[in-house]
Amino acid sequence: MATRKVRYKKLSVKTPLQVLREDQIDPTEYESLTNESQIATGVEQAEENEYHLQAVLQGAGVAADKEIPVPPPEQSNLNYDELYSQRFSKTSTYIRFSQTVEECVGCMYDMTEDDSVFLKSYNQKRGANPHLSEDDFERIMEVFEDTAYIKTPFASVDQTIVPYDEMIQGLQDLDTSKVMPHAKEIYEYWKSMRQALSNQPLHPALKFETHQETDEMDPYVCFRRREMRQTRKTRARDVQSADKLKRLRKELEEGRQLVLASHARELLKAEMLKTDRAIFEQRAQLKEHKIRLGIKTDDEDLINQKPQKRKAPEVPAIQRPPPSQIRLPVRPDGRPAEADLAQLADRLAEKENELRADIEKKVQNHSEWNKNHVDLTRGPLSPVRGPKLDLSFRPAKTQYLMTPPASVSSGAEEPTPMDLDKPENPPSVFHFWGVSQDEESLERPPKYRRRIGRLNRLWIDRRGMASPPRDHGDDNMSDKWKYDQSSDDEDTTMFEVDPYDIRALRFRSSIPLPAWMTNRLVAVPVGVGNRPAILPPGALPPGALPPGALPPGAQHPNQGVRPPSRQQTGG
Amino acid sequence: MGSNGTNGDAAVGSDMPRQKGKATPDTLKVGCIAMVIKDGQPRRAEILSIRETKSGRQFYCNFDNFNKRLDEWVPVGRIDFEQDVDWPNPDKDKQKDGKMKKASTAQKKIPGKKTQKRVGKREQSVASEGQTPHPWTDFVESQQVKASPQKAEEDDKVVASLEVGATPGVGSDEMELNEDETPAEVAKRERAASFSREEEIEKLRTSGSMTQNPAEISRIRNISRVEFGRYVLFPWYFSPYPEIFSQEDCIFICEFCLSYYGDLKSFTRHRLKCTLQHPPGNEIYRDDFVSFYEIDGRRQRTWCRNLCLLSKMFLDHKTLFYDVDPFLFYVMTTRDERGCHLIGYFSKEKESADGFNVACILTLPQYQRKGYGRLLIQFSYELSKIEGKLGSPEKPLSDLGLLSYRQYWSENIIDLLLGFSEREERCTIEGIASHLAMTTQDVEHTLQALKMQVYHKGEHKIVIPEKLIQQREKSKAKQKRLIDPERIQWKPPVFTASNRTWGW
Repeated sequence: MATRKVRYKKLSVKTPLQVLREDQIDPTEYESLTNESQIATGVEQAEENEYHLQAVLQGAGVAADKEIPVPPPEQSNLNYDELYSQRFSKTSTYIRFSQTVEECVGCMYDMTEDDSVFLKSYNQKRGANPHLSEDDFERIMEVFEDTAYIKTPFASVDQTIVPYDEMIQGLQDLDTSKVMPHAKEIYEYWKSMRQALSNQPLHPALKFETHQETDEMDPYVCFRRREMRQTRKTRARDVQSADKLKRLRKELEEGRQLVLASHARELLKAEMLKTDRAIFEQRAQLKEHKIRLGIKTDDEDLINQKPQKRKAPEVPAIQRPPPSQIRLPVRPDGRPAEADLAQLADRLAEKENELRADIEKKVQNHSEWNKNHVDLTRGPLSPVRGPKLDLSFRPAKTQYLMTPPASVSSGAEEPTPMDLDKPENPPSVFHFWGVSQDEESLERPPKYRRRIGRLNRLWIDRRGMASPPRDHGDDNMSDKWKYDQSSDDEDTTMFEVDPYDIRALRFRSSIPLPAWMTNRLVAVPVGVGNRPAILPPGALPPGALPPGALPPGAQHPNQGVRPPSRQQTGG
Repeated sequence: MGSNGTNGDAAVGSDMPRQKGKATPDTLKVGCIAMVIKDGQPRRAEILSIRETKSGRQFYCNFDNFNKRLDEWVPVGRIDFEQDVDWPNPDKDKQKDGKMKKASTAQKKIPGKKTQKRVGKREQSVASEGQTPHPWTDFVESQQVKASPQKAEEDDKVVASLEVGATPGVGSDEMELNEDETPAEVAKRERAASFSREEEIEKLRTSGSMTQNPAEISRIRNISRVEFGRYVLFPWYFSPYPEIFSQEDCIFICEFCLSYYGDLKSFTRHRLKCTLQHPPGNEIYRDDFVSFYEIDGRRQRTWCRNLCLLSKMFLDHKTLFYDVDPFLFYVMTTRDERGCHLIGYFSKEKESADGFNVACILTLPQYQRKGYGRLLIQFSYELSKIEGKLGSPEKPLSDLGLLSYRQYWSENIIDLLLGFSEREERCTIEGIASHLAMTTQDVEHTLQALKMQVYHKGEHKIVIPEKLIQQREKSKAKQKRLIDPERIQWKPPVFTASNRTWGW
C-alpha cells in the first residue's frame, strides 16, 4: 500500500481543467488519479467480478474486439411471409396511433391445436349440415370465456361453471343464424376443456396478484397495482369533489330531460301527422261532395294556404347526430340549435358597430388626454404649407360708398394695396382703379394678407389681382416687379387652383400625361375609389382620364401650373 | 481484512465452511457445488435445479463468475464426480430461512410510510457523503442491522467493509477490482441475497425502480426458445410468462403486438387477425434507417406488459413486480415492407425522483453488436437535452449495459475534449456534463475509468491518451449511424396532478 507524498486538492466540478493530449505532457511528471479511488461501475456488486466483464474492462476501452459471450439468436424456420403477410405502406408523416392491442386484434380467442382437431371432427359429424368456420368457433369461445370471466371471476377457486343459459345473452351479439345451431355443442366442449384445466381460463394467462400471502414470493406474479399516493384530504378538495359531483348530477339530469323532451316532441309530431292525415281525408271527402253536388267554388279551402314553414328546420333536427358533448346547450322549446345561428349580416353589423364604438372611445380618450394640455411653444414647428395658409388671405371686397369718385384719378393709376386688418374692419374708402374687371376677377376678387416679417416689417401680400395691361412694356414695368422677386424663399405660397376652372381645365388638358400616370392607369380607378359617384371605375376609356378627377395625391405634377394670369405675389 | 484462504473462486453459494464429499448423479442435489465442464474447462458450478428428460437426468448449473445468461442444463456426463462436491449446509440454510421470516415480520411492523421516508433520507445522505457506488446495497445493510440484531457481529463486519467502499481513499488496497474476493464481500453478497427481497419491494414501492434481486427461483430460466419474427431467440433469464409455458419447447411471440403463444396453431390464428404493424404509439423520430415510437404504459398496458415480459428474458435486473403505468417506453424500430420491426427500447419513468433518464434499456439479441444500443443511448440523451435536464441510467447496469454506456460516454467526452485541446481552452466537468446532458458523476466516472484525470504540478488536468484518440478515429470511420436531433418531433409529456394522484 503506497502512501501518497502530496495531498491532492479537492477537485470541484466547476474547476476549469487544462486539456492535453498524451504527447503534450511528460508521462513521468503526472500521476493518474484512477488508482486512488474505485470507479463506480454501476453494475450490481455481485456481478462486478464476472469473468467476461472483467476481461473486457481490463482493456479499459482498448479492446473493442473483446466481447461478452451471449447465446446467439438464429434464423427462424417458420414461414415468415406466410405468418406476416400484410404489407406495410410507409406514411409520409410521422405515425400517430392510439389503438390498443385488443382493438387491433379483434377476436381475442385463438384456437389451439386441440380446438382444431375438435372442430374438424365436429364438422365431419355434421355431414351435410352447415359447418362451423374457425372464425365463428373462436367468436363463440370468446363469448364463453368472457362471460365466464365476468360472471365467475373466482372460477378456479370455487369451481363454478357458468351454465349455458347465461351464455346465450352474450351470443346474441354474434351472427345468431350462423352461431346458434352450434353453440350448445361448443359449450359442452368448452366446459370439458375448462374442467380439464381445473376451471382456469383456456388461454394461458399471466399471474396477477391475488392478495394472498403467497403473492409476495411468487416470481410469476407480476404487474401488481402500485400503491396509490395518498392525497391530502382538505376542505377545498372536498368542496371541489362535491362541485364536480353536483355538476355531473346536473348534466345527467339535463340529459334525461333532453331525452324526455325529444320523446314528447316525437309524440307531438306523430299527433300532427295524424291530424294532417285526417285533414287530408276530410278534404278529399269534401272534394268528392263538392263534385257530387256540383258546388263550384274555388278550392282554396282544400289546400293549406301557406306552406308550413316550421317543418323545414325540424327535419335536420331529427337527423342531427346525438350530441357528442353532454354540455351542449339545450333549448327548452326543443327547437333546433340552427335557428339560433347568427346570420352573417348581423355579425358584420355587430362587428362594425363594435369597431365604431371602439374608434369613438379612442377619440374620446384622446381628447381626454389632451384636455388640460396647453401648447406653450410658440411656433413649434416650421409653418405648415398648403391650402391652409391661404386662409389668412381674405378677399377684398370693394364697396361703393356714397362718395364722390376720387378727384385725382391719375393718382390712382398705380393701385396701392391697402391694409386690411380684419374683414370686419371698415372697408377702405379707396376705389381701385386700373384693375380690369373681367369675368375672372369678378369670380375671384383679389385677396390680401398682412403679415409681419423679419425686423417687424409689415408685409402685405396680394393675390387674385388681374394682370396689369402689358401693352406698354416699358421700364416702369420692371420697376413694378422689382420687389416681386422672391427674396424670402421660406414662404413660397401655393395657390389654390380650382380644378374645375374652365381655364385651368383647358390648360391642363394641353399638358401631356406623365409616364408614371399612363403606367398606373389601371390602378387609378382604385385610387379614386373614395369618389365613386363622380367616377365609376371603368367608365372612362384608358388614357382619357380627366385631369380634374385625379385624386389629391396625384395632383402633384400639375401643381406647378399657375393660373395663366401668372400673378406673382410678393414676399 | 486480508485475502481469503479459500480464495475468490467461492463466488457461488455461501462462504460458510461446507461439508465436502464425493457425490453420485443420484445423490447430487440442489444447492451442491460441483466441478462442471464449461467450454471445455472445468468450472465450479452451483446446481440450481434438477430435471428428468428422456435422455437422462439434467442439472441446471450456475457457473462461478459467469453471468447467469450462460447458465445451462447440463447432462450427467459433464459433471466431474471424481472431485469432491460441496454439500449445502442444512443447518445454515434453515437458520437463514428463519431469520428471513423474522426480518420480514420485523419489516412489516414498521408502518409503511415512515419506512419510506426514512429510507429515502438514508439513501441520500449515504450517497452524498461518500459517492457510494451502490447505495442500494448500503441500504440493505442498514436495514439488516435493525432486522437481525442477533447477527450483529457479522453485520458489523459487513458494514465496516461497506464503509470502506463508501469512502474512497481510506483503504485503497481492497478497493481495487480484482478476481479475489474478501470474505466480507462474499458475506455481503450472501446477506444481500437473503435479505433484500423485503427491501427490494419496499424500494419498488417508493421509487418505481425496476431492479430485481437475483436470489429467487427466478434464477432458473423458464423459457428455452422463442420464435420472434424472422428469428429464434434463446432467452437468457427468467421471465414471468404464464407458468405453463415453461413446459413448452418453444413459445411464439407476435412480432408486432408481442402477444405470446405456447401453441403454434393459436399463433397462426392470431397472425391472421392481428393488424398491428408498428408499435402502438406516436412516432417521434424517423430517419432513413430507424424510427422511434413513444408509448405510454398507462394507455397501452397490454402492449407494454408484453414488451416487459419479452425484455425480461434478456434483462436480469428488471422486475415486473409492479405494473407499467408509471413508465413511458421509447421503442426503436426498423422499417421494411412488412412493418416496423422492434429493435430495442428503453423505458423511462414519467417522473423520476432520482433524475434517471432511462429505467431499462435493451437491444434485442438479433440486433446486438450492430450499433443500435448506441442509438438508443444517444436518443435517451437527446430527450434529456430537450427536457433541459441531466440524465443518467438507473442502476444497477448490466454488464452489457455498462459497456455500452461506457463506450457512448467515452466517445462523446473524447470528441468534446479534443475540441477543447485544439482550441487550447480549459473545460470544467460541469461544462462537459451540461453539453452532453450527462450527470457530473457519470462524466467523472468516465474520465477516471479512461485514466484521463491526472494531477500534475499541483493542478488537476485532463490527459487524452493517444490510444484512445486512435481508437476513436477508427470507430468514427466505422460508425455511420447517428440520431439526428433535428428529426425529433417531441415535447416532454406533461402529466397532470390528477394523473399523478390517481394514475398509479
